[in-house]
Amino acid sequence: MTEHGAGPPDEYVEAEIHRMLAEDPDVAEQGITVVRRERGLVLYGEVESPHRREEILRRVSERFPDVPVTSDIGVIRTQAPTQVEELP
Amino acid sequence: MIRIAAVGDVHLDEDVVGRFRPALEELPDSADVLLLAGDLTRHGTEAEARCVAQEFGGLGLPVITVLGNHDHQCDQVPQVVKVLSDAGITVLEGTGIVLECAGGRLGVAGAKGFGGGFAGRCASDFGEPEMKAFVRTTNESADALGRALRDLDCDLLVALTHYSPVPDTLAGEPLEIYPFLGSYQLGQAIDSAPTALALHGHAHHGTERGTTPGGVRVRNVAHPVIKQAYSIFHLGDHLVG
Repeated sequence: MTEHGAGPPDEYVEAEIHRMLAEDPDVAEQGITVVRRERGLVLYGEVESPHRREEILRRVSERFPDVPVTSDIGVIRTQAPTQVEELP
Repeated sequence: MIRIAAVGDVHLDEDVVGRFRPALEELPDSADVLLLAGDLTRHGTEAEARCVAQEFGGLGLPVITVLGNHDHQCDQVPQVVKVLSDAGITVLEGTGIVLECAGGRLGVAGAKGFGGGFAGRCASDFGEPEMKAFVRTTNESADALGRALRDLDCDLLVALTHYSPVPDTLAGEPLEIYPFLGSYQLGQAIDSAPTALALHGHAHHGTERGTTPGGVRVRNVAHPVIKQAYSIFHLGDHLVG
């Protein structure tokens, strides 16, 4: 978890961040959830590489330097399955 | 028995190449086919498609895919399809294919699908041209899927889409965005044929299991949902092999 900046978030900032994550070509993530908490915004979700996780936080902090943003984004595992699903 | 491996929403670009490959190398021993449920790329560029070809090509088993909304972002669908096809990956869109597997003939019909919502809470073909175009896109995609499913002559029939045919596998997503995640028309198309299994992606916060109103089993195989390189399903116990 990493905190950045200071300043009160509001609903429009939340909406703008959500749209930026989906529409900014450098991010293009539709699966990130932006949650408003007392101390700022928290980004949840999972991405395909550590680079993408870092890029999301960098872009959000760059665009909204006064908004405290916490990131708890994971990188999705890619191991082979250990079990199969039998569908009789 | 027929063994189907499946995953969707892998969103490949250069930074992801190689992450799936070690698990994929095991596939020829554990599956008859690999199905990809769309959103193979981040933006649908030809360069990203080459990453998909590198990661999912030459695996030693048939690979079949539909495209997702991300694969349309840069309006390079023909180039993306060509790169994938050149790598031996079959791209379905309102079409189907029959594979001769050791356990029998597997039919796979696929279409990207579209949003629109679910029975009683869906968009209508009414009003502004933009709204009518939206719903007609939904209807045309579902109609094409239904035709492709009904046309296949096989022992076991599987439907492959990017958008969801049922709300069940969206559980975990905000209710407000269900109309952007799938449409009941896809479920109706799947129920119009003797489909054994329907696979989709797109809903990253959804859940794995559901069924259509007609009783067809539905699985959301979006990578963030299954949290492994792919899932494997064994079907067709009644088949020889």
